[in-house]
Amino acid sequence: MSSAESSGDGGKWLDAHYDPVAGIYSFSSCLDLADLSGDGENRLVVGDLGSGSSGMKLKVYRGTALMSESTLLDLPAGLVAFFMDLHEPRIPAVAVASGPCIYVYKNLRPYFKFTLPGLEINTLEQDVWQQVRDGQIDPLTLKEMLESIRKKADVPLSVRSLNFLSLELHEMDEFVELHKHQPIKRQTVITCIGTLKKNMADEDGVSCLVIGTESGEVFILDPEAFIILSKMSLPAVPTIMDVTGQFDVEFRITAVCRNGNIYILRRESDKPKYCIELSSHAVGLVRVGKNVVVGCTDETLQGFTQKGKKLWKTVLAAPITTMASMDLPTRGFQAVLVGLSNCEVQLYRDKNLLSTIKTPDVVTSICFGRYGREDGTLIVTTKGGGLMVKILKRTATFDDRDSAPGPPLAQSVRLNVPKKTKLYVDQTLRERESGLAMHRAFQMDLSRLRLAAAKAYVKALESSLTPMSASLAEPLKMNAVVQGLGPSFKLTLNVQNTAACRPIMNLAISFLYDESLYRMRNPYMRIPLLVPGLIYPVETFVECTSDKGISDIIKVFVLHEGRSSPLLTAHINMPVSEGLTLN
Amino acid sequence: MEVTMDPLFLAWSYFRRRKLQQCSDICTKILQDNPYDQDSSLLISEAAWSLKTRALTEMVYIDEIEVDQEGIAEMMLDESSIAQVARPGTSLRLPGTCHGGGPTPAVRPMTQSGRPITGFVRPSTQSGRPGTMEQAIKTPRTASTARPVTASSGRFIRLGTASMLTNPEGPFINLSRLNLAKYSQKPNLSRTLFEYIFHHENDVKNALDLAAQATEHAQFKDWWWKVQLGKCYYRLGLYREAEKQFRSALNHQEMVDTYLYLAKVYQRMDQPITALSLFKQGLDHFPGEVTLLTGIARIHEEMNNISSATEYYKDVLKQDNTHVEAIACIGSNHFYTDQPEIALRFYRRLLQMGVYNCQLYNNLGLCCFYAQQYDMTLSSFERALALVANDEEQADVWYNIGHVAVGIGDLTLAYQCFKLTLAFNNDHAEAYNNLAVLELRKGHIEQSKAFLQTAASLAPHMYEPHFNLSILSEKLGDLQSSYSAAQKSEDAFPEHVDTQQLLKQLRQHFAVL
Repeated sequence: MSSAESSGDGGKWLDAHYDPVAGIYSFSSCLDLADLSGDGENRLVVGDLGSGSSGMKLKVYRGTALMSESTLLDLPAGLVAFFMDLHEPRIPAVAVASGPCIYVYKNLRPYFKFTLPGLEINTLEQDVWQQVRDGQIDPLTLKEMLESIRKKADVPLSVRSLNFLSLELHEMDEFVELHKHQPIKRQTVITCIGTLKKNMADEDGVSCLVIGTESGEVFILDPEAFIILSKMSLPAVPTIMDVTGQFDVEFRITAVCRNGNIYILRRESDKPKYCIELSSHAVGLVRVGKNVVVGCTDETLQGFTQKGKKLWKTVLAAPITTMASMDLPTRGFQAVLVGLSNCEVQLYRDKNLLSTIKTPDVVTSICFGRYGREDGTLIVTTKGGGLMVKILKRTATFDDRDSAPGPPLAQSVRLNVPKKTKLYVDQTLRERESGLAMHRAFQMDLSRLRLAAAKAYVKALESSLTPMSASLAEPLKMNAVVQGLGPSFKLTLNVQNTAACRPIMNLAISFLYDESLYRMRNPYMRIPLLVPGLIYPVETFVECTSDKGISDIIKVFVLHEGRSSPLLTAHINMPVSEGLTLN
Repeated sequence: MEVTMDPLFLAWSYFRRRKLQQCSDICTKILQDNPYDQDSSLLISEAAWSLKTRALTEMVYIDEIEVDQEGIAEMMLDESSIAQVARPGTSLRLPGTCHGGGPTPAVRPMTQSGRPITGFVRPSTQSGRPGTMEQAIKTPRTASTARPVTASSGRFIRLGTASMLTNPEGPFINLSRLNLAKYSQKPNLSRTLFEYIFHHENDVKNALDLAAQATEHAQFKDWWWKVQLGKCYYRLGLYREAEKQFRSALNHQEMVDTYLYLAKVYQRMDQPITALSLFKQGLDHFPGEVTLLTGIARIHEEMNNISSATEYYKDVLKQDNTHVEAIACIGSNHFYTDQPEIALRFYRRLLQMGVYNCQLYNNLGLCCFYAQQYDMTLSSFERALALVANDEEQADVWYNIGHVAVGIGDLTLAYQCFKLTLAFNNDHAEAYNNLAVLELRKGHIEQSKAFLQTAASLAPHMYEPHFNLSILSEKLGDLQSSYSAAQKSEDAFPEHVDTQQLLKQLRQHFAVL
């Protein structure tokens, strides 16, 4: 047990498989487990995002091996396995949502493609494109008109018009020629997908697809005919969705939206019934029984009832990357798996942390369920494309670890305060006895020192020795950096105007140096107008002409035109030139 | 008639009295009078020749053990490093591996490499290894600041060229025409010749040739030649070969010097633990040897293990109670662990021993101030000001006076002092930081910000400017700059609680809708 304890998960999991270079780049919404061939052995179906621009694939794993792989046309937004009919043997179909379409695969072969209905098109925009097709207006006019429509109209422009507006002048003609004959379409895209049992709560009952779109709508599709059974609208764009119930009886859709609110939809109305306003954006949503658990970007996990009442909130150690539910119906165990960015997967039941699994990399997606013939399997993919499979031990039990009551640990830690020494006590005695004399001596020294400091300060001001200017008209600051090994050095002077809002003009830089030692490329430079707050680097090159290994000081003066005394001075201790070693 | 002394004896006497120039002059004369090719005078001329080489060597001799400047090339282009990320406590390159319970940077200032400032400046105490090339080639590395010179050749060049400056008519020995094989056969001449070549001419390659031939002539049984071979290899950067030679020399003859050289090799190879065990092995043979004890203390100090470093420095003082380095280091340690009254005692001891310089009075002033002996504080600083040798020292004294001024609440004086600090040393990042705080109190936000930015760019290893900039930006509402500055502060000082709190607050701010 002790050795297992060190791995951080309390010895509850068996490491079944770990492939750090599996090359899976996916999120929890694109992972599912299903018995795709009807032999009682579950496969892992992954919608792989590839590199984000290419290499999108639908991958199926069986055991530890990749069983099949087929290319996807677009980035998958979500993936679900569902039963679409009552045929025997009971083989589920896989629905992949990408762009405005749902691709349905059966027996791992493309079966059907469903496209979302187009959105309403701006009539003005349509007219304009009609005119273009008739050759009445040229691309430049088209651009002007489209821009005015974009500013005023309630209905947004189509993708084609937006693309056109982003083009350069010379590309416009070609674009118009290519596209003007096709009709304008305005499409939305799918943001999330889920399943909803149609009329039976069985494990293998027929399910409807539930789709959330960028236009803020939720569609429920009939599994056989692929017609829209129901359409509901949300005030914002849904990003994560959880569906429970049966379509014909009663259902509940919990949708996390991009405005940071959670809306709960029910069967009878096409508008949200309840609304939960979060304090920060949600990363994941998991339903546990009748409650929902939401992970937020402010590193918290929050529990809500199905009516939107907040139950609890716990603060986590690191930002959440993903969440999934862990459901073991045989044991009546339900909990939430939370992937954290500190390379951990934590298991929560309500607000209590049950167990922690350390992973070698940051987890991006989690899936728990039946894999192969094993019921309690945890599948995790990592940021670096790794795939990890862990099996829950049958003997594993999870106890709520209640945080022990009592004072916090830090209370009993002793502060390391050094003891006062005898010497110190003696000195305080001296202080007590001759306090008056000490005070007098100190005050006298202080006055003398103030005078000395003031004298030195005035001297420094008079000769403008300081690297920042004291005058109120030109508050300037400069610091110098020398780089290089020699004999050639690069001298960078960082000049900054520290005034609140006034620029400074007519400045110049000159140098004072030993001409037998150094040679400057630009011994006199003009400084451009200095905008307040910005640092202006002024660069020049210095060459050391001596081979004796001697170094000297170079003085830099910032001068104002028409005034003889410098505004400020900097002394640069030149490093010793090392270039002479090569001879 | 005046009785004249035998010139060779006179030269020898001059040499012993360290009147090296006179010694060399007399030897030159003897060599001119006694042509080298006559048998009768061969012995005399050989003796004079040998004495002259010794005299010339002594003129430029620097303790080879103490000279240790790691150049940029060695630091940045290190081929011998195997593990980039060493385990904590095994490397000199990870300054953050503090396990000795030393003070935090909030109490004791840090050097550029992230180590606490030491009480005694010696080569390589302030250098450390810069994190980036950019940092490495930036300017502050003049001799007085003891920061790294560009390459190890840098220092030796200045020493080596001495031969050209002292002998305008040409070098005393023309190395290219020297028959090394012949000299290596003559043990009485070869050693002085080697030292001359190594120290005076600084020609490591020829020195290595000579040493190799001589050790062969001695049938590989002479430890002295092995040590010299090791020294040559060390100079050339062949640390493994140097280690082999020193190890073999130790087998023939246990010598303190050899232990020190070997430990130096291990330190350069970044194996402080091996160096420590070697020192302890040396202590078994030479119990109570001060240089070995000092070596151990230095390694502990470099590994941020201040408390055990102090223990060893105390051991050093038991053997040699006038050891300046040990006294200074223990004193500074007491000062930074909130016992200035004890530090004061140590510094006074240094003063009694005749150390009389600006830095010591500066430290005395600070100790008096923090130990509440106010009557002596300012007079110490006055003396320090009177003793300053260069602008950097003056800047440091004014900076400390500025601190005292802040302590007694005289902000005008503090302002003047910090400005003076900057007038004398334009790169004083601490002064920029403190000046920024004073400017902020006056309400000059733009100036304050500019100063903090300068301080941060001058000394990225200090957490204070980053933290102050972060607070300032947060107050101004510029949360993004505040966050990035706080992150830099966290890098410089991960345990700083205020930074952590600020970061937490900012993160909450970012997460809230």
